[in-house]
Amino acid sequence: MNLKLSTPKGEENATFSIPYDLNTRTKKVNGHCVITDNEIRIYLDDDITEKYPLDYFDEYICEQLIGCSMLVGRKGDQRKFLCAFTQTYFIRYAELCKILEFYKRTGELFADDDQSEPSCTKCGLPLDSETICPFCAKKSEVFLKLIKRAKPYKWLFALALLCTILTEVIWIIQPRLQRTIIDDFVIPRNKDLHSFLIICGMLVGIILLAWIFEVVNMKASFKMALSIGKDLRQEVFAKVQKLSMSSVSKRTTGGLIRRVSNDAMKLQEFISQNGKELIVRLFSVTMLSILIFVMNPKLALFVLAPIPIVIFFNVKLFNVMSIRYGRVWRMSTRHSTVLHDTLNGIRVVKSYGTEKYAIDQHEKASMNWAKSIRNADIVWLLTMPFSRYILSIGSYLVLLIGGSMVLDQTLTLGQLVQYTTYVAMIYGPLGWLIELPRILADTTVSVSRVFEILDEDTDVADSENALDIDIKGDITFDDVYFGYKVYNPVLKGISCEIKQGEMIGIVGHSGVGKSTMINLILRLYDCTQGRILIDGIDIRNLSQDSLRTQVGVVLQETFLFDGSVYDNIRYAKEDSSFEEIISAAKIANAHDFIVKLPEGYNTRVGDKGYSLSGGERQRIAIARAILHDPKILILDEATASLDTQTERNIQEALSRLIEGRTTIAIAHRLSTLSNADKLIVLDKGRLAEMGPHEELMRNGGVYYKLVMAQRQTTKMKEVID
Amino acid sequence: MNINLENEIFELDELHILDPEKLNFSLEESGFLTLDDGEQVYSKVNLTRLLPFKTKTEYISVSYEDDEEQFHEIGVIRDINELQGEQFEIADNFLKFKYYMPEITRIYSIRDNMRGYIFVKVDTNAGKKTLCIRDWYSNFKLISPTELYVVDADGNKYTCPDIRSLDKKSKNNIDMFV
Ligand SMILES: Nc1ncnc2c1ncn2[C@@H]1O[C@H](COP(=O)(O)OP(=O)(O)O)[C@@H](O)[C@H]1O
Ligand SMILES: [Mg+2]
Repeated sequence: MNLKLSTPKGEENATFSIPYDLNTRTKKVNGHCVITDNEIRIYLDDDITEKYPLDYFDEYICEQLIGCSMLVGRKGDQRKFLCAFTQTYFIRYAELCKILEFYKRTGELFADDDQSEPSCTKCGLPLDSETICPFCAKKSEVFLKLIKRAKPYKWLFALALLCTILTEVIWIIQPRLQRTIIDDFVIPRNKDLHSFLIICGMLVGIILLAWIFEVVNMKASFKMALSIGKDLRQEVFAKVQKLSMSSVSKRTTGGLIRRVSNDAMKLQEFISQNGKELIVRLFSVTMLSILIFVMNPKLALFVLAPIPIVIFFNVKLFNVMSIRYGRVWRMSTRHSTVLHDTLNGIRVVKSYGTEKYAIDQHEKASMNWAKSIRNADIVWLLTMPFSRYILSIGSYLVLLIGGSMVLDQTLTLGQLVQYTTYVAMIYGPLGWLIELPRILADTTVSVSRVFEILDEDTDVADSENALDIDIKGDITFDDVYFGYKVYNPVLKGISCEIKQGEMIGIVGHSGVGKSTMINLILRLYDCTQGRILIDGIDIRNLSQDSLRTQVGVVLQETFLFDGSVYDNIRYAKEDSSFEEIISAAKIANAHDFIVKLPEGYNTRVGDKGYSLSGGERQRIAIARAILHDPKILILDEATASLDTQTERNIQEALSRLIEGRTTIAIAHRLSTLSNADKLIVLDKGRLAEMGPHEELMRNGGVYYKLVMAQRQTTKMKEVID
Repeated sequence: MNINLENEIFELDELHILDPEKLNFSLEESGFLTLDDGEQVYSKVNLTRLLPFKTKTEYISVSYEDDEEQFHEIGVIRDINELQGEQFEIADNFLKFKYYMPEITRIYSIRDNMRGYIFVKVDTNAGKKTLCIRDWYSNFKLISPTELYVVDADGNKYTCPDIRSLDKKSKNNIDMFV
């Protein structure tokens, strides 16, 4: 990280220099915090306002407030405000604090040499871990990508296209035959029945032919569209599975469902109905334009003149429409979110009797959605008749001028009829083409939402030569920093070592980052700084597959999928035999209650099936983890919903099972963890203490207080009970 | 409230509304406040808006960190406007600093890159800027029918307390993205 962004004038000894931009009266200022090899200097503009020896303070703290942050020095009990800055600089100051802390410990002012912060060559925006600058990325490309999707089906597409074009050609030939009938048979009262019948036969023949082409075309395009739709849905879904936790959790479930189902569907529709049509219509407009131009350039001019105006107008309209359809998309997503949320939480809704509130919420979302559609379409409906009118002016002119030409006998009536038929024909595709901005705008939104997912780089990606190893079970945290948001660290400088086969407990107040540590071991997120090693290998170099198949987790909120008990346990290992499943259930103390279920292991549990109690669900989840047979077993408040007796039973069973395996357990009831080999005590995001229960109790530190506090409340509970 | 159950005394937390007349704040060197409530002097006192989206001066929680950095709430002030003269200034200033949030006065343009980012060119009372907003469905939103709330990629927060007061173009720009 670059910690020398700019230096104030006259400062020559700066090792680090970071700007700050606020004062305590919330005025924008222009200052610098400069670190030389022995001093910290605060500049305002180009003048030093304060300076201290680096050793003067015991600690430098980067204190994060809500809208800004400040750098504070601590000396004993006293704290001294040094400077304030907006969050833009927060990460740099936090880094600076780490460097200063290192300096306090070792006396060395040492900076990470890696100062490369790639930025976009076009706009200069920092590229934090993105490959293309999000600002400069073109959006027109998304449609190209959609078209590329059709590649595997190019022959089907070609067939459909060919048939449509042939049909179109037939419709162009047909008026020519009509003209012959009128000019050669009707007007001269020609009685050559033979030729007349041939021409009539030809007419019928080509119409039949057109019909055949049409059928082939429909079949081919339908097949293609369905296949592309299926592919897209599958691909979006697969990608969602592969995305990192942070990418998935920042989107609502409603939004994701919408992308997989509706958006993919919309693209399918677009391809089946509009993609080919677009080519065909453009083709026929061009053909017809050439035709009428060749037949009579003067008349053609009248017909074609308004087209550029309409095109210009429509391009403008497209931009307006796509923003408005973007809004429709959001409103409909919000609606699905409300729907999803309420239906998922239906138990809470019912038990609080808040059905009316839920209905209101839904109505609001639904209304907003409807409104946004109206808002989008009104622009369209208001401008559409106008475009159509301009466009069709030509046809009146043709009749007017063409009619007088017939009277002047410079044009035959048959020619005029043929001509006006062509002109009328040209309005068909033209009319369709001017509808295009609306369809395109609507589709663009879906395309970009779908490709937003498909193109997202997984931020937790396997490295190129990711290793597949057999995990033994040593885990090392090496100065790990992590925050769900870059500017809000949850874990700070965690370093610890867990040996193979150890049983480790992680304790700390709720919200201190215990589960976060687990998430990092599972690599659901990557740490912002530092490393996590398993068997001495950075987990970023392990393949995620090999990592997760060898680490088993039981979480507090267990999720059972819709399916039988059997399916839910087997989930951990597809190919396990029924006996294995039963023994896992036995160890987890689940077998007995499963036996009592009406349909045994076939009882349907999960979403809307037989409702199990919290403890029962947890036991199924534990069975699942046992079946998984992991090298590292993680229990995150896994026994929290169980009574003490069952918990003890399971623990005993587990302790037999976990021999030789590394186990990490988080438990709210500290007594559960008292037989752990070591306890890791977290406090305010830092590792406060580490050691066995007795030692920590003797030390009388954070852990001691936690235990004491809990004893008190347990006593209270016992009294109340 | 103390409950005495068989000689065990437990402290139950209650909402403690502070009497604004008795409070005496002063800004300390640490950037936080010192509070003298007539009985006790607390240092490293922090003020927190309990309803930051709804009100800037009402329901302010007053808390401090003890030497072991444990959080303790002293109480809640119903409205800091009821503080005595200069006291209001100190408290309000601290809050304004802590919740530093430039106000958006104009929105020139919003660009959607169709990848979950938007780039918003704005004028604020702290200068012109182009905000890069990640996951904008959740970071660019109305928190009331009239107030716009924006969090940019760095975590800076911006607000527009009343979008009705903006010019027409800005309003249209917002309209399309919230
Ligand atoms: N997905 C998330 N996004 C943002 N913040 C999170 C997320 N998960 C947890 N946090 C925050 O991180 C902190 C640590 O959470 P966690 O590790 O779950 O605590 P615990 O020690 O109780 O398991 C909490 O302050 C929590 O609010
Ligand atoms: Mg947890």
